[in-house]
Amino acid sequence: MAQHAQYEEELERYVICPRCNTLHQKIPLPPGKRAVCKYCGTILYRYDPRYLDRALSLAITGLILFVVANLFPLIQIDLLGNEQHMNILEVISQLLESGYYIVAIGVMFMVLIIPAMVIADYIALIVLMRLRKGEALTRDLLVLLSHLIPWSMVDIFAVSILVALVKLTGEVRIHFGVSFWALLLYVGIDLYLTKARRIGTLWELRNRIYHG
Amino acid sequence: MAEKHPEKLTVIRCPICEAVNVDYGGSIRCHRCDSRIYREPRYGLGRTWALLITAMIFYLPANLYPVLQVKNIFGGHTSNTIIGGIILLWDQGSYPVALIILVASVFVPVLKFVLLLYLLISVRYPVSESKALRHKLYYLTEIIGPWSMVDVFVVSILTGLVKFDRFKVLAGSGATAFVLMVFFTMLAALSFDPRLIREYPRKRSPKKEKDV
Ligand SMILES: [Zn+2]
Repeated sequence: MAQHAQYEEELERYVICPRCNTLHQKIPLPPGKRAVCKYCGTILYRYDPRYLDRALSLAITGLILFVVANLFPLIQIDLLGNEQHMNILEVISQLLESGYYIVAIGVMFMVLIIPAMVIADYIALIVLMRLRKGEALTRDLLVLLSHLIPWSMVDIFAVSILVALVKLTGEVRIHFGVSFWALLLYVGIDLYLTKARRIGTLWELRNRIYHG
Repeated sequence: MAEKHPEKLTVIRCPICEAVNVDYGGSIRCHRCDSRIYREPRYGLGRTWALLITAMIFYLPANLYPVLQVKNIFGGHTSNTIIGGIILLWDQGSYPVALIILVASVFVPVLKFVLLLYLLISVRYPVSESKALRHKLYYLTEIIGPWSMVDVFVVSILTGLVKFDRFKVLAGSGATAFVLMVFFTMLAALSFDPRLIREYPRKRSPKKEKDV
């Protein structure tokens, strides 16, 4: 193991393209610029010195938006004076009530529990990094984040709402709730934090923070 | 070409934190996040096969059984399979939405099965010489996979929303099969060891000229 340790610093100077698996040597970038793979054009890394500040305010905003999205109805429909509304919690409870437990559990994890864990993990991670504390804990939080992100599907759920509404057009009157717009904004933030920025970027920030 | 291609170097990208690691062979741990990068090759393949076959089995009931049922006050009851729902949307003139569901629910899972089968076969037998192609395919399966949840979410949303006394939407047993299919497909894709992509053909790459 000790002999392996000497390579570590050296290895940090390289990056492998996630799309075509080619090896690249990193070069220093000016702030705001990004490096792309010369074979396939995929973004490899960026230098964004103010990322932590922006990510923290976005993550906290995202958390508030996610709470709002779950407090009020996302959509309300009106059929001959009868009103019905739904949000994520009502979807889950209705699925449980009608006996579709596996579908309910799937929705509960992919649209509620895992997204909540992602955002909590993200906030804890950034706070710790800004305080320069808990190096070992930030590693565990980052590993957990990598395992959670593929299962978080609020973006797909938001698209599904629109698809569901298309199926209902003509039959009922549709009203969008405040929560719907909160959910859309949350999805935008979630995509920026977890999909647009590669997890490797956070690891590099962590390295810079705890090891100079 | 031979010199330029980094696959010749024994380095591997950590699937969890994206760090570049020297591939010493056998079971290695990432120097940055300590995740296990490589499992026993045969075990890893066997597990992916098992998960993929399970997912493919669930694909049948997911498409043959109704995913959605509509009940009305007069005891009327209609149910729709995924294909049935798509035909209904098409007849209503909602062509874009019909196409979205057709692609997301019918084509994406099949595409993902085919890609994973191709990857599993090509690491064992030299079907294709192009490792770059295999890497791109693997990357593609990771991106498109979760979108097959659209129809399950649509059904769940309709269940949560359309619960009038006279007119009710319920999920169907196909939806349960569909959730399980997506779950096992994602597990199969996540369990697929990226290093296996380079395992065949079995010529051991010559010792790299310079240490990375
Ligand atoms: Zn790693």
